[in-house]
Amino acid sequence: MSRISDAISELHKLDMEADKPGWLQGIHPLPKLFVTVLFLVITVSFGKYELSGLLKLGIYLIVLFVLGDISVKLLLKRMKVVLALVCLMGIVNPFFDRREMLLLGGFAVTGGMLSAATLMLKGVYAVSASYLLIVTTSVEEICYALRRLHVPKLIVTVLMLVYRYIIVLLKETERMTEAYALRAPGQRGLDYKAWGTFAGQLLLRSMDRAQTVYDSMMMRGYDGEFYLRCKRAAGRGDYLYAAVWSAVLLFLRAGSAG
Amino acid sequence: MSILEIENLSFSYGNPRGKLSENVLEGIDIRVAEGESVGLIGENGAGKSTFLKLLTGLLTLKDGVIRVSGFAMNKENLKAIRAEIGYVFQDSDSQLFMSTVYEDVAFAPRNYGKSEEEVREAALSALRQVHMEDKVDRQIYRLSGGEKKLAAIATVLSVGAKLMLLDEPSVALDPKNRRNLIRILNELPGAKIIASHDLDFVYDTCQRVILLSGGRIAADGETEKILTDRELLEQHGLELPLSFSRGRKL
Repeated sequence: MSRISDAISELHKLDMEADKPGWLQGIHPLPKLFVTVLFLVITVSFGKYELSGLLKLGIYLIVLFVLGDISVKLLLKRMKVVLALVCLMGIVNPFFDRREMLLLGGFAVTGGMLSAATLMLKGVYAVSASYLLIVTTSVEEICYALRRLHVPKLIVTVLMLVYRYIIVLLKETERMTEAYALRAPGQRGLDYKAWGTFAGQLLLRSMDRAQTVYDSMMMRGYDGEFYLRCKRAAGRGDYLYAAVWSAVLLFLRAGSAG
Repeated sequence: MSILEIENLSFSYGNPRGKLSENVLEGIDIRVAEGESVGLIGENGAGKSTFLKLLTGLLTLKDGVIRVSGFAMNKENLKAIRAEIGYVFQDSDSQLFMSTVYEDVAFAPRNYGKSEEEVREAALSALRQVHMEDKVDRQIYRLSGGEKKLAAIATVLSVGAKLMLLDEPSVALDPKNRRNLIRILNELPGAKIIASHDLDFVYDTCQRVILLSGGRIAADGETEKILTDRELLEQHGLELPLSFSRGRKL
């Protein structure tokens, strides 16, 4: 199976997991999105040397992964490239910031090491929290919640359509690469001379598709707004979820500030 | 009563340099009655797709008159006209842009301001008409080609379209799905214009056929009469349907 097919298959699996019956899947998307955004904001608010405070914040992820029965192994598998990039972000810090901050059993921990660890941890937290949201909430529900939070409709529309059509475009890319491979036996991958044409063709086909989709939307009365709905209204349990986690996250942040 | 009236329709795509270009459609006069099924046939480049796009307002009308359910085609009436007409695209993936069948079928009634209860009723009714009610929560990508075509038809039925335009509906369907589509189209009560190269499909779904050639109407009459006229068809770049070739009617 090609890598493109694998990617398409993984996207389909994400959809199915969001639809699975489960405690976390059952929470209304609005409180879930709110808590996720709050978590991300609080994560980013930590200073570059505040590693101990940041570590405590991990309790949010641990609890949700455990109670929601979400596989960490799958997270690592799906996000390995992103997580690797995130970990690389702070890798040069120890070389620039050599100021000794503390001693750990005789080992001097520099500011660079601390800031690198903090940066990596922030990245891991952000990726994990976003992953938790995606794997337990359908795209429509996320977009519905975004609109309720007054995110501009253009952004929400683009997000929805990109998600819907990424699979179509991946399939188109797969067809084009297969057609190329069948006429270039013995060659590995795309010759660099074909990159430009390939990209250009994909762009033209994408634009063509986009125009047809837009025509289809206009034919069905589209006026610039996707009127998204959630399957059910938020209940007391959902508000309690938001209230409890908001209180915990703010408490952890306030505790670290002192 | 006519659901569609076209008088002296002509159209050209024009030229970016402002020069006059040849008319793609010329002098088209057509009336379609309520509930009538009309096949639109013609060789490649005859003007079928252009004609369909003019009916939906996707192309701007320049010469002639188009009236849909009494509404004249102009900018002010476009939304009302589009509530009366449903266009089923050749490629269902271009038409089905939501994640699930229900969301796609509910898209149009929501845009026309219906309450969520009315939307649900309209969507389920449309899905029942195409026998897809058991797939209401199915993800679009999990549908087969035939199912996508039926879902696409349901998306235009949900808003109560009285005239359905279908552009090559049988393309890429296997024989079983093709037969199923014929059955379903024959069950739908509204008027239909089916543009297709599949003349056997047209024979099985339409009582009347319009043959377009070089942008003009070359013939307009009963399906049986036109689709069995070898000379007429060959003169305009077509051939007898397979059902009638070698004197064999299937």
